[in-house]
Amino acid sequence: MSYEANVARVEEIIRRLDSGEASLTDTLQLVKEGKELIERCAVELEAVGGALEELRLEELVARLEGEAAKSEAGG
Amino acid sequence: MSGNDTLTPAPTMPAGIPGSALAGPFGVGEYAAALRARLREFARVQLVGELADLRPSRARVYFELRDAHGAIPCAAWKADWEAVVQRVGAVREGMQVVVAGGCDYYPGSAAASPSFSFAVSDLRVAGEGDLLARIDRLRKALAAEGLLERQQRLSRPQLPRTIGVVTGEGGKARDDVLAGLRRRGWAGTIVWGFAPVQDRHAAPAITRALQDLAAVGGVDVAIVARGGGSLADLLCFCDETLCRTVALLGVPVIASVGHHTDRTLLDDVAAVSCSTPTHAAEEAVGVDCAQARAELGRAAKRLHRHGHRAVLERARTLAALSRAPTEQLERQRTRLHQQLREIRAGARRRVEAERALTRRRAVVLERKTQAAVGDCRRRRPRELERLALALAAHDPQRTLERGYALVQGPTGEPLSSAARAREQTQVRLHFADGAVGARIEEQGS
Repeated sequence: MSYEANVARVEEIIRRLDSGEASLTDTLQLVKEGKELIERCAVELEAVGGALEELRLEELVARLEGEAAKSEAGG
Repeated sequence: MSGNDTLTPAPTMPAGIPGSALAGPFGVGEYAAALRARLREFARVQLVGELADLRPSRARVYFELRDAHGAIPCAAWKADWEAVVQRVGAVREGMQVVVAGGCDYYPGSAAASPSFSFAVSDLRVAGEGDLLARIDRLRKALAAEGLLERQQRLSRPQLPRTIGVVTGEGGKARDDVLAGLRRRGWAGTIVWGFAPVQDRHAAPAITRALQDLAAVGGVDVAIVARGGGSLADLLCFCDETLCRTVALLGVPVIASVGHHTDRTLLDDVAAVSCSTPTHAAEEAVGVDCAQARAELGRAAKRLHRHGHRAVLERARTLAALSRAPTEQLERQRTRLHQQLREIRAGARRRVEAERALTRRRAVVLERKTQAAVGDCRRRRPRELERLALALAAHDPQRTLERGYALVQGPTGEPLSSAARAREQTQVRLHFADGAVGARIEEQGS
């Protein structure tokens, strides 16, 4: 699931918990699911929270082409 | 200028180039003024061409008139331009126009640059220019093929990890994209696809860069960015091959290639069209990362609180429930003890009351007994005597002794009437001194 889908599900879980209608089993299950989703979102945010990495497309293409050529030669 | 008859070298001027056959040197200001005078002598004419690069300023309106073979820079005084607009309506880039005017030259100064222009005093719109008509035809063709919506249907992640950017390497758009990403707090991976963004090489280079960005994989969204420009400068973004490539690309493309007034075909086929590169960067990253981190933290705390509270509250409820039977038992026990005490007290009170009552009765009985005993001793002998006398008065023996006889039937029953005696044959007669049998002779009548 995408970041925004995970966030939307967490919000839905919190709404359900806030309603007070969830049973104990449901609550524990929802809290567990919510924590896992938050963990996933945190990983996504962590991935774009460090230092900006800048690549040049032509270098990337050249590298990929080189790898492809090596692979063909090896095969 | 064919001669130097109107120009005279200043006496303070430095010497000319040795060996040169040309006249001078002349002061440049003087030469510029002479040039302007000569240009103004050119015949005033009407020109026809496509209007481009329209730039209104405070006093004048500048633009270019172009056709397939050349171009002339034009300028109109603001008052003349407004009179034209009032008469013909809005005048836009790309229109085919006829202008009236003549050559002019601004000689400049030590602080101002010189410029040549065709001084326009009047204008007529001759029709939509070829350029706009061509773009419009292509737009309709792309729309008919459903290519204007394909990009808009692609899902675009709000938090991309990798963003591809196609822009000019030395352009301001690059800095603007970086500024927009910084504003979002985003620091993922940028893949720069540098390409020219305004000459005839631009469209193929941009097309190739976008194809490569899609091919290398991992690029979540691509931005095509450049600053604003005239419609002529932005023509490369109306290129058919480029627009078709973008429409069919699997990576969503955000276009930011002009200002509000400049709409290219790329704007139409892209997933999103933005007015500035900064805006495009903010569109590419849909969340404010710092804010998202804070919100995520808050959500985590709320979840934790819910989990904790759910268990704790239920544990409290269970504890209360587990205490309930004990408390109930204790309440019942207390109640029973109370009832028992009340019963015992009641019983004691009853016994006491009964005892008191019994005592009172005993006293009364005692009194009555004593009274009765006293009474008996006095009254009973007399009464017995009276009863004996009454009884004796009723004794049949006494009657027999006075000479009467008792007649009894065969079974001993007294016969107290003649009629009953006639029913019998044998009777027995009792006297005071004994009994004798007798026969009834007179039978029933």
